[in-house]
Parts: sequence; structure tokens; C-alpha cells
Amino acid sequence: MSKIACFVEKYNFSDPREEAALYNFKNAAEKAGHQFNFLFRENIAEIPKYNAVFIRATTDPLFTAYIVSKTAWELGLKVVDDPESIKICANKIHQYALFEKYNVPRIPTVFLSKDDLHHKQIKEIFDTLGKPAVIKAPYTSFSRYVEKAACETSFRDVTKRFFKKSDVLAIQKFTPTAFDWRVGVLNNDTLYVCKYMIPKGKWKHGAKLRGKPTVVWGRTVAVGKQKVPERLKEVALKACSVIGKGLYGVDLKEVDGDFVVVEVNDNPSIYAGYEDSKDKDIYQRIINYLSD
Amino acid sequence: MLVVSSIDLKENLRVMKPSKFLASTIKEPTININNDYRYLKTGYYVSLHAEILGNMVIPSCEDIIDSSRTPILLLRAEKAKIPTLPFLVTDSVKKIIAELGLPVVLFAVNPFIHEGYKTAKNKSALYRAMKSLGMNYKFTVCAQPVKGELFSVKSFFGKCQINDEEVCGLAAKVYALFRIPVCKLHVQKVEGKAYLCALQPIDEQELSKSDLEVISREILLISQQGDHLSV
Ligand SMILES: Nc1ncnc2c1ncn2[C@@H]1O[C@H](COP(=O)(O)OP(=O)(O)O)[C@@H](O)[C@H]1O
Ligand SMILES: [Mg+2]
Repeated sequence: MSKIACFVEKYNFSDPREEAALYNFKNAAEKAGHQFNFLFRENIAEIPKYNAVFIRATTDPLFTAYIVSKTAWELGLKVVDDPESIKICANKIHQYALFEKYNVPRIPTVFLSKDDLHHKQIKEIFDTLGKPAVIKAPYTSFSRYVEKAACETSFRDVTKRFFKKSDVLAIQKFTPTAFDWRVGVLNNDTLYVCKYMIPKGKWKHGAKLRGKPTVVWGRTVAVGKQKVPERLKEVALKACSVIGKGLYGVDLKEVDGDFVVVEVNDNPSIYAGYEDSKDKDIYQRIINYLSD
Repeated sequence: MLVVSSIDLKENLRVMKPSKFLASTIKEPTININNDYRYLKTGYYVSLHAEILGNMVIPSCEDIIDSSRTPILLLRAEKAKIPTLPFLVTDSVKKIIAELGLPVVLFAVNPFIHEGYKTAKNKSALYRAMKSLGMNYKFTVCAQPVKGELFSVKSFFGKCQINDEEVCGLAAKVYALFRIPVCKLHVQKVEGKAYLCALQPIDEQELSKSDLEVISREILLISQQGDHLSV
């Protein structure tokens, strides 16, 4: 019997599909004879009472979730997401540098330091990557700080905004596709596979409507991990192998019949009736991993 | 040994600017000198680049993040037997009063505030402090009891320029654990004993000429010893 704390914030319960998924985890744990409690920020001090911590609140080295993760880690508990995975996945510069070092198939990427933002450098970037180029703030999630620029003026405009928080940015070749593959990975093994559709006329899974602040999301189509090309899973697993052994959601694009990694997320979204609809065992497998 | 520094140092040291290092692939043990090692800032990326290259580097990315997250700083310090006081990570005034009492000192635990602290002697001051450091209760804070005199010292490779053995000893231990070459330590002295409260960046303007000399001298020493980076 294991005691599992699931670290959540109030917003994790605001979407009924996410709330349902959280209760699926709880049910799976209790069915297997474990204890599973939601742990809110008021009760962080209770971490030592548990054997394992499962973080569902948004992770970042600067958020409370990192405090929870590292505290659990220092106390020797099993923890998903572990602090090392948070550190790497929360920062696109870090993960892309690892992909480069270990030859993970990826979208052509260059890094730009704040001190190097000048005409010659921008021209060189456009010459290398073509126009438009995609600019990413390292801390982006939910497509929020990913924008494209087709000329020096808009390139300067976007980078100036992103440089306020981070002194290095990632610039990529614009590689639009109709959908992103999303491969869920746990402990070096494929957990589920979906297609995250890109809304029509847009290029990001989460896209803003013209003139409106709200974000529309493309559909999620579960595919089932048995029904997808082996190569897709192979590339996804290779990307995770340079990060760690936890729970990840790998975004990939299919380009010229092969697959390239867009990013690896720790703390991947799991919504009832979406990621789980073809691979029903994901709750049980994650709980088993936590209680092992 | 390569010294990457955002600060203009004295002596005739071989020093490389961060932007130049970030564009390079130099494989050498690296000392990263910066007055501000904050996550996402140049000081962080220099250590990250060195780690990706496989270089030994001071400080490591992990230590940069952990030392600036006060609850983790204190947890790891406590584990290493460095004196700390009890602390609480919370957004609740009630909990602080019930578990720590007053007065308390609060440090921010959020992505926006990275320096300073607030002390509160009474409940209304505590509410005000929580509101400002928690950014309208949106984030938690790290609270510690105030039991004695609270003050700050600059630490350069774990050495501080004050005449207090207790505090100097504490700074040396903190450096041995986290290896942040340039930083400010917030410390409390209770009945003669020094306790670690927080570690924060130093403003560039706060670095005096003699501070720069101390940093330069330490680097020279390390480069002569050579074994500093191999641990
Ligand atoms: N280089 C690129 N070319 C085209 N589309 C991209 C590129 N990089 C990212 N995208 C799309 O933008 C969205 C967000 O990108 P991603 O790197 O996953 O950032 P986030 O962490 O914000 O989710 C995804 O739908 C992704 O497919
Ligand atoms: Mg993504």
C-alpha cells in the first residue's frame, strides 16, 4: 500500500474533463489498494507523510510545483514530475540543446542571445532558416509564447517582448502541419498516442482568434498506440531518453515522411475522454509507476 | 580553467564575456561569475551552456535554481547541517501565526520578486506583507520566525568581509553546498549563533572596488589550486 499525494491547484478542477481525469487517477489508485489524496498548496508541509507525489499543477522552476517536486525528491519520495525533468522541459533552450547534443530528430533551431540582436544576426537567421521564422520564449506552454516573424521589424518586435523575461530565445524554421502528434511516454515506454489538430487557417494547436483574447484549441483525436508508425514512437522515446524516466508528452511533426520533435513536455495534459480514449490503461500504469 | 564573467574584474585574468562564451564550444572547466544568477538570465544560461558542453562548472544550474528558491535552499541546508530556522511555505496568515507566531520574516516564492524581504511584528503588518510578496495572495511566501538580529552580507566564494566568525563560518558552508560565487546572504543571529535565511543576487552597483579585488583574488587562487572544480 502506497500513500500518494496529487499536488493540484484550484484551476486543475475548472475543466470538468480534467477534473474527471483526476478522479480517474484517484479511483485507479484506490482500486489497487493505495491511498490517493489531493494536496493543495496549504498543505505542502504534509509531503513527508506520503510515499509518492504526483504533480498535476503547472510546473516551472519558478512555480510552487518545483518546491513540491524538489522537496519530495530530497525526502526520497517517488515523484512525477521530478525536479530534473521540470528543469529541462520548462526551458526550450535546455531541451533543444540536449536534442542537438544527442542527435534527436528536430526542427532546425538556432539560439539568440539578447546581446546579439542586431541587423547582421537577424539577416543571418533568416538566411539560414528562411521566412517566416518561429520565435519561442523558453518558458512557453499552451502555445502562448510562440510567434512567427517574416521581416526584421516584426522579428525585433517579438524578440523584444520575449527578451524581457529570458536572455536567450529559440528561433526555428517554420514547419506548419495539419496536426501535431502527441505521444505520451512513461518510464521509456509509450503510454498513448493522439493527434492534436491545428485549428483551420492557424498554425498552432492553441490559436488566438483575430482580435480576441481567448484561445481556441484544435480537436484531440486519440489514435491508440498500436496503430501508429513504429518510427513515431521510436523518435518520441529517443527524445525522452535524453531527459529522464518520468511522464512526458512529446509533440512531433510529420515532415517528408519522417518525424521531428517539436518539444517534450513534462506534466502533459490528461483529459478524460481525450488522451485516454484509446489507451484506457494510462491511469493504472501511472499509478503503478508511482507506487512501485 | 575558463572564467566567464559579466563583471569587469581586476588583475590580468583571462576573462571571457558571457555572450562570447554562449557562442563558443570551449571545453574547459568553467567558473561563471555574475552578480545575478537568476533563472532565465544570462548567468543561468552560461552555466547551462557549460553543462551541455560537458564542462565542470561553478555554479551548476540545479544549484542556481535551488539556492534562489528559499524553501529548497533551507531544506538542503538543513540536510547538510547548516543552521536554519523553522519555515513555512504558505499563503495563509492564520497558519503563520498559529505555527510560527510573530514577529516573522517573509521571502517571496514567485516568478517576479527575487530580492528583499519583509518583516512583520503584528497581524496587520503580516497581512500587508503577505499581500505584497504574495502578489495579492496569488503566490505562496516562505515565512521564518524572527528570533534575533536580521542582516545581510555579501559572500564571494563563501568569504565575507565582516569581522564575525560565526557568520563567516556559515557563509563558507553555504558556499561549499551551493557554490554560488557571488551572492548576498540573509542571516539571523540568535544568541551568538548564525542561521541562514535566504540567498539572493547582488545589485551590480553594490559591488565596490574592493569587492572586485576580492573576487579577482579568489579566482586567481582557484586557478592556481586547480582542484576546486573537480568535486
Ligand atoms: N517551428 C515550428 N513551425 C511550425 N509550427 C510550430 C513550430 N514550433 C511550434 N509550432 C507549433 O506551435 C504550437 C506550440 O509550440 P510548442 O513548441 O509546442 O510550444 P508550447 O510549449 O507553448 O506548447 C504547437 O502546436 C506547435 O506545433
Ligand atoms: Mg506544445
